[in-house]
Amino acid sequence: MRRAVIPLLFALVLSACGGGGGGTSTTPTGTPKTGGTLKVGQETEIVTLDPNASGLLVEREIYYNMYDSLLGIDAKLNFVPQLAKSWQFPDDKTLVFNLRSDVKFHDGTPFNSEAVKFNIDRYMNDPKSVRKSDLASVDSVEAKDPTTAVFHLKRPDGTLLAQLVDRAGMMLSPTAIKQAGANLSVSPIGAGSGPFEFVEWKRDDHLTLKRNPNYWRKDKDGHQLPYLDQIAYRPIIDLNSLLAALKTGDVDFVRTVAGKDVDGVKADSTLVYRDVPTLGFNAIWLNHSVPPFNDPAKAKAVALAIDRAQILKTVLFNVGVVSYGPVSPASWGFDPSQKIYDKPDPDKAKTTATGFSFTLKTANNQDSIQTATLIQAQLAKAGITVNVLPEEFGRQTTETRAHQFEAALQGWSGRIDPDGNTFSFYHTGGSFNDGLYSNPQVDQLLEQARASTDRAKRKQLYADLQRLLVGDVAEVYLTHGTVAQISTNKIRNFTLIPDGMNRFAEVWKS
Amino acid sequence: MFEYLVRRLALMVPTAFLVTVGVFLLIHLTPGDPAVIILAESYTPEAAAQLHKDLGLDKPLPEQYARYMGRLAHGDLGRSLRNKLPVTQAIGERLPATLELGLAALCWSLLVAIPLGTIAALRRGRTVDVIASGVTVAGISMPNFVLGILLILIFGLVLRALPVGGFAALSDSIPDNLSRLILPAIALGTFGAAANMRFTRSSMIEVLNQDYIRTARAKGASRLRVVNHHALKNALIPVVTVVGLQIGAILEGALVTETVFSWPGVGKLAVDSIFGKDFPVVQGIVLMSALSFMLANLLVDVLYAWLDPRISYA
Repeated sequence: MRRAVIPLLFALVLSACGGGGGGTSTTPTGTPKTGGTLKVGQETEIVTLDPNASGLLVEREIYYNMYDSLLGIDAKLNFVPQLAKSWQFPDDKTLVFNLRSDVKFHDGTPFNSEAVKFNIDRYMNDPKSVRKSDLASVDSVEAKDPTTAVFHLKRPDGTLLAQLVDRAGMMLSPTAIKQAGANLSVSPIGAGSGPFEFVEWKRDDHLTLKRNPNYWRKDKDGHQLPYLDQIAYRPIIDLNSLLAALKTGDVDFVRTVAGKDVDGVKADSTLVYRDVPTLGFNAIWLNHSVPPFNDPAKAKAVALAIDRAQILKTVLFNVGVVSYGPVSPASWGFDPSQKIYDKPDPDKAKTTATGFSFTLKTANNQDSIQTATLIQAQLAKAGITVNVLPEEFGRQTTETRAHQFEAALQGWSGRIDPDGNTFSFYHTGGSFNDGLYSNPQVDQLLEQARASTDRAKRKQLYADLQRLLVGDVAEVYLTHGTVAQISTNKIRNFTLIPDGMNRFAEVWKS
Repeated sequence: MFEYLVRRLALMVPTAFLVTVGVFLLIHLTPGDPAVIILAESYTPEAAAQLHKDLGLDKPLPEQYARYMGRLAHGDLGRSLRNKLPVTQAIGERLPATLELGLAALCWSLLVAIPLGTIAALRRGRTVDVIASGVTVAGISMPNFVLGILLILIFGLVLRALPVGGFAALSDSIPDNLSRLILPAIALGTFGAAANMRFTRSSMIEVLNQDYIRTARAKGASRLRVVNHHALKNALIPVVTVVGLQIGAILEGALVTETVFSWPGVGKLAVDSIFGKDFPVVQGIVLMSALSFMLANLLVDVLYAWLDPRISYA
């Protein structure tokens, strides 16, 4: 059985993956058919429908079908217009958005720059907001005229556009927010402007969205989007039950299946399985502040002795790819030259450091425990003893955040901008720097990359950064997963995007 | 009888108090910070500190318990840490689904157990008895989640006869509701069915050996009449006790069964809340379960007296 909270869960980040990037990112299509209900099975129940308070991956996925953001992304992770028609940095501390004038929220109120200011102010200032760190560089937002919103920044920020694709850029109706009050998190009626409107959420049972008949987007032939009448999300926590529900047509679309079931799904002619690389990564978190990994040689010995390809093949059924750093092959920041631990080398590991032991904490689910056990066997060849300690997921995460570990198997679902996979993990004092890693050069590179809006320059900075991280063994990188379309063969025109968020505005059912 | 009832009900108060202390301590001693779990990928130390403050988790444990008991005295079970809903509402929303499943499981267990147990007793030592005993052993040994997965496999995936999970409200569609109820009810009720069958069989064998049964037969009563009118009522007295105790087992089994079948009941809420470290909800569910269990036991004792007039609680 899987735990409720997914995001940092190693096994689920893995099992949400596919078999190594197959096919195009959009399903073959024909003449679109309007109508029907898309039934989506989710492996976790959501907690809140308010982006202000959201921490879960499955929540973001629902939001993308209900709320529009200032910017969108395409399958290649390029920024595309959404509520903003265009944007520009007139100087490195000012970001100007030219907004659409034809958008109405589901409650009928207009979307304009006042709404942008209201939402960003709420994300930045609400005491209960968990979006503050996403918008840390924003000083204020000015509603210059109804279609112009100006972001005044405290410092240059090359990551802000990516943040505004995600929850910090999702625009909700100010009127609906005020009317709903505390109920917004459970019943955001009329709050969005996206392709589907909120209807009802019966916790642990279903969440229903219906077509927004006034949605501002049209398809390439000028037909009104979305095509579907409804989306019905259903939480099915047990992965066996989730797969059974897909096979029997009880649901049309699921986010994940266990790695062991991927081949079976591929072989089933009534089902579709396609994947693209994900932005996330899985690694062994090392605590650099306590023995044995306060000794860099010991961290290096572990990195040298591990056979990543074997983990991928044996435990993950070749779902995903070997990882050489925190930035995945799906990202523009990926540097293919970083392969310094490409092949296992237990002999070299032995000459680097041997004869020590450490405790490896892992979530107590099958994939994680199998991975840890395999690592134990691999490191034994280099004379390194691993004590595998499976823990309940909540406990493991809490202890890791509190730096109470020597090594831990963890994963990250990934962010559009490489900053989201690096800054808080490796900057001294970062929120997810659980292993207390610190390198002044790394801090400097992270800050420079964050401050620049020049992608070519940033790409070079991230390449330098990864060289340092992999050299220092900040973490022992293991694998990158993939994100997959796992559905019945009735689902048409679905585009896979590496952020793993399933957007259904253009999907139709045959 | 009245005095007995009052005494039993009064005894429930200190028992419930001990339950609150036990659960509160157990759940707070379990490692895991709700703030880390709630914030998940939006975690920052500042956000976690703010959340601790908002949820009252920054206060010392005795103070947290005193606040909890203060609210409980006013009938307030607190609010969920995760979605801020009142616990009574969270449980109340899911209780009908669990009651429906529990009742269906109980019906299944009795519908199978009493006829089969009686037949096995009447034909003890013969083939039907041997087969029934074998099935019983399997039913008692198999954990309900294994049976649940097997049922999903056979009736859902191979035969495609029944939906494999989920829930439909009775008010929306009675056929849909019932078709989704069958598999989880069988998974949950089979352990009880097997146990009840064993009790019915042995109790029936004992009763059938009594003098009054022989007398009834000697008077020329038909075998059916002897069994139905004379033996069964007396044979079921010990079964009633076991059924009462099984209400606890059904509540416990609902944790797993509801998760396997995505049945949105109290059991699934409990599992989600335990993993999410949602203390108030877990405490509320355990307290409710403990009270239900105590009330069920009391009901069994009362039924016992009704079924067997020789028993009195003076």
